[in-house]
Amino acid sequence: MKDFDLQSRPGLSPHVRLQMDALSRQTVLLYPEGILELNTTAQEILGRCDGRTSLADILATLAAEYDAPADELKSDVFHCLEQLSARGFVFFES
Amino acid sequence: MSYRPYALLAELTYRCPLHCPYCSNPVQRPDDRDLTTGEWIRVIGEAAGIGVLQIGFSGGEPLLRPDLPDLVLAAREMGLYTNLITSGVGLDAPLAAGLQRNGLDSVQISFQADEPELADAIAGARVHERKLSAAMLVRQHGFAFSVNVVLHRRNISRLREIISFASQLGATRLELANTQYYGWAYLNRSHLLPTKEQVRAAALIAGEEKARLAGQMEIFYVVPDYFEERPKPCMNGWGQRHITVNPVGDVLPCPTASSILGLMFDSVRQHPLAWIWEQSDSFNRFRGSQWMMEPCRSCPMREIDFGGCRCQAALLTADPRRTDPVCGLSPDHHLVEAAVSSSGHAVGLESMIPRR
Repeated sequence: MKDFDLQSRPGLSPHVRLQMDALSRQTVLLYPEGILELNTTAQEILGRCDGRTSLADILATLAAEYDAPADELKSDVFHCLEQLSARGFVFFES
Repeated sequence: MSYRPYALLAELTYRCPLHCPYCSNPVQRPDDRDLTTGEWIRVIGEAAGIGVLQIGFSGGEPLLRPDLPDLVLAAREMGLYTNLITSGVGLDAPLAAGLQRNGLDSVQISFQADEPELADAIAGARVHERKLSAAMLVRQHGFAFSVNVVLHRRNISRLREIISFASQLGATRLELANTQYYGWAYLNRSHLLPTKEQVRAAALIAGEEKARLAGQMEIFYVVPDYFEERPKPCMNGWGQRHITVNPVGDVLPCPTASSILGLMFDSVRQHPLAWIWEQSDSFNRFRGSQWMMEPCRSCPMREIDFGGCRCQAALLTADPRRTDPVCGLSPDHHLVEAAVSSSGHAVGLESMIPRR
């Protein structure tokens, strides 16, 4: 698994949009010529990728909210960010 | 079972300044007047209402419609992600600024090759330089930028050069689309089909470059289905996710469906889009698997590849219900094999029929 710098601040690419889908009431990620239906984990993570909040703070907020073991949570979040950054949907401000 | 459309391809006009011999637009075009601005805005609203989230403005050349910025604005106001699919010809600074102001998200520019002389020869027009200027404008205005190159015998051997060209242009997404043989491309098939050796080399290069450029430019290599053993899951299934509205308002389950003789399409001028999506004969004809013939009907792959492409079955066998002849299990597979084995005979660009 890729190791992300906890002090970096993940943000959404200007070319994608998170949007509430009126039909399914789920958040979807819209990108050039494509749609990604997000699972709950991805929705929670992406909703916090504002380019200002550090990865450490995002993890801390999620840990408090979900009362999840820190290691497990970190692994889920890193896995999700790895996939989304590989497709250019998420970038990291250092 | 209910179906929901996610993407609308809005073909705004059939007019185009290019004459690419692989164009998939219909050879015989409907003889009716193009939809008006008001009609398009109504269609876009109806599409959003039944679930569409993505719109592609295409053609022909969509930049020939002076109301394009208005349609982009309407689509954005209805929450759609807006994609312009263009040759780039006709994009100037004021238009780019207007499209940006109205919320256009993404631009896909087609290139015919990396090399200007070859590119212009394929396009049948001196347009390569103008496309380069358009690409510059797309980057300056911050749109998401994709490049599309249709591959065929004339350019597939330059694949590595084509990929570095797109990457140097600053595209973040590159579609390498092996020619699909419909419309004009079907007429010119014997001139366009690459050789097996070319296809084999291209697949290797595409794989290597995809890995090399990961994180910088995403490469989509659309496989040349004539050279495959299994058909493509065309449109993710007929009437499953996609709607095409052509310039005169006919609604099609796929952009090339008008090549299926005997299939009638309903128009947004006569019916609401929701009715056409749910109720029309054309959208229901090949939904699910009840319509299938053998070998598809009892095939374990039938819900995965949907029997392949209906247009291809119709073009090659005159019966759209038959298995896509690309499939190795199709009793008509010899038709594809014959086309492939006769590919590679030296014929010049000048002997192709240019798209009009």
